[in-house]
Amino acid sequence: MNLSGQTKTLVTFWGTRGSISTPGRITEKYGGNTPCVSIHNQDTVIIVDAGTGIRNLGLELLREANGKGSPLTLHLFLSHTHWDHIQGLPFFQPAYRESTRLTIYGSSKKEMFLASVLKGQMDYEYFPVSMSTLTADIRIQEMSAERIRLGPIEIDWEEQVYHPAGSVRYGFNVYGKRIVFATDVELDLMFGKGKKTEKEKLHAEQYLRFIHGADLLIADGQFTEEEYSDRIGWGHSSIPVVLEAAFSARVKQLAIFHHDPQHSDKFLDEMWMKHRTRFGADEHDMDLFWAREGLTLAI
Amino acid sequence: MTKWAEKRDGFTTTVEMVRVNIPESVPVRERAYLQILSPQERKRVIELGEKDIVIGRSPECDIRFIVENVSRKHARVFFHNEEFMIEDLESTNGLFVNGVKIVRCALRNNDQIDLGGVKLLFNEEKRLQPR
Repeated sequence: MNLSGQTKTLVTFWGTRGSISTPGRITEKYGGNTPCVSIHNQDTVIIVDAGTGIRNLGLELLREANGKGSPLTLHLFLSHTHWDHIQGLPFFQPAYRESTRLTIYGSSKKEMFLASVLKGQMDYEYFPVSMSTLTADIRIQEMSAERIRLGPIEIDWEEQVYHPAGSVRYGFNVYGKRIVFATDVELDLMFGKGKKTEKEKLHAEQYLRFIHGADLLIADGQFTEEEYSDRIGWGHSSIPVVLEAAFSARVKQLAIFHHDPQHSDKFLDEMWMKHRTRFGADEHDMDLFWAREGLTLAI
Repeated sequence: MTKWAEKRDGFTTTVEMVRVNIPESVPVRERAYLQILSPQERKRVIELGEKDIVIGRSPECDIRFIVENVSRKHARVFFHNEEFMIEDLESTNGLFVNGVKIVRCALRNNDQIDLGGVKLLFNEEKRLQPR
């Protein structure tokens, strides 16, 4: 399967589940792996988050690289370092190959240096292989204020404060198209019911500006409205609030992401059916779907 | 199914595990197929195997639909990593799975595929295979 043979930008979902991996019959369709998305444009390969889904991506990248006999140059952008977003990294096979060059990007505004966090999860109390045995050329880069340019893709980002310990949202801009990855954020605190402070209003404006007109927005939609009322402060959004925000920012295609571990395929199908009729029929159409593993879109 | 037999010696309890019934069969994929849903097309079922299947308007295709909106070579179904995938062969009108325009997608039971207005349903069935 050739992942990079087309000139279009290809976005593939390798893990869409939030919080913890959920293998099993009832999650087979949308998938049980935790967050990982790849963005390919010709030879530029970007990975966003290293949840358990990155394991399958690694195997696929190696299959392709072995076929061509070429080294891999990969760029991994981390939204944050909670387990479900980094736990697949020790199982990412290209990291055990000397010819791989892997640059890992993350926020510089954390209490601990990004490298320490990643190294910590491979401490021998947690994992049998230490990070130093990853033979790839690995560079860990805490991002500065400057935009990053990788081949034809330019990346901008913003810190998100409405998640415990924070997270980063990314914008990937390529040939006039914009893909936004903005998960692990509690939008209800900015857009939900109740009076908002000036700071919350400002954060809401910044968010809307960032996602405005995105060709694809991959957004946290972990909870239903009913579930959210018992999970305030957990750092995740309720689906209706995400839909309203994306629609008002004229997002063209919205992928609901970071599915709750308790949500079965049947439940997610029902949620999709319930909401798509509402947002699919308006005059400024927003294409809406629930992200699922093994799905590749062209942007 | 296992049967547990307890033996007490006064101090500890030893549990002997006795295998009384070994499963005689395991579930395996029996068949996977595409069912044509469009009323204008002849009702038939397309069996899927490990060989690639190309769908389109051209006579070279394994599955042919003489429909204007179907490209000459529109889509390919292939078996990869123990699952069936479908991919768009750069068709003019695109390939949709459950209404989402895709380039490639791992197929799951009851996925609805739309290519140029022709609608197909993907199905997989499993049966018990004797050991």
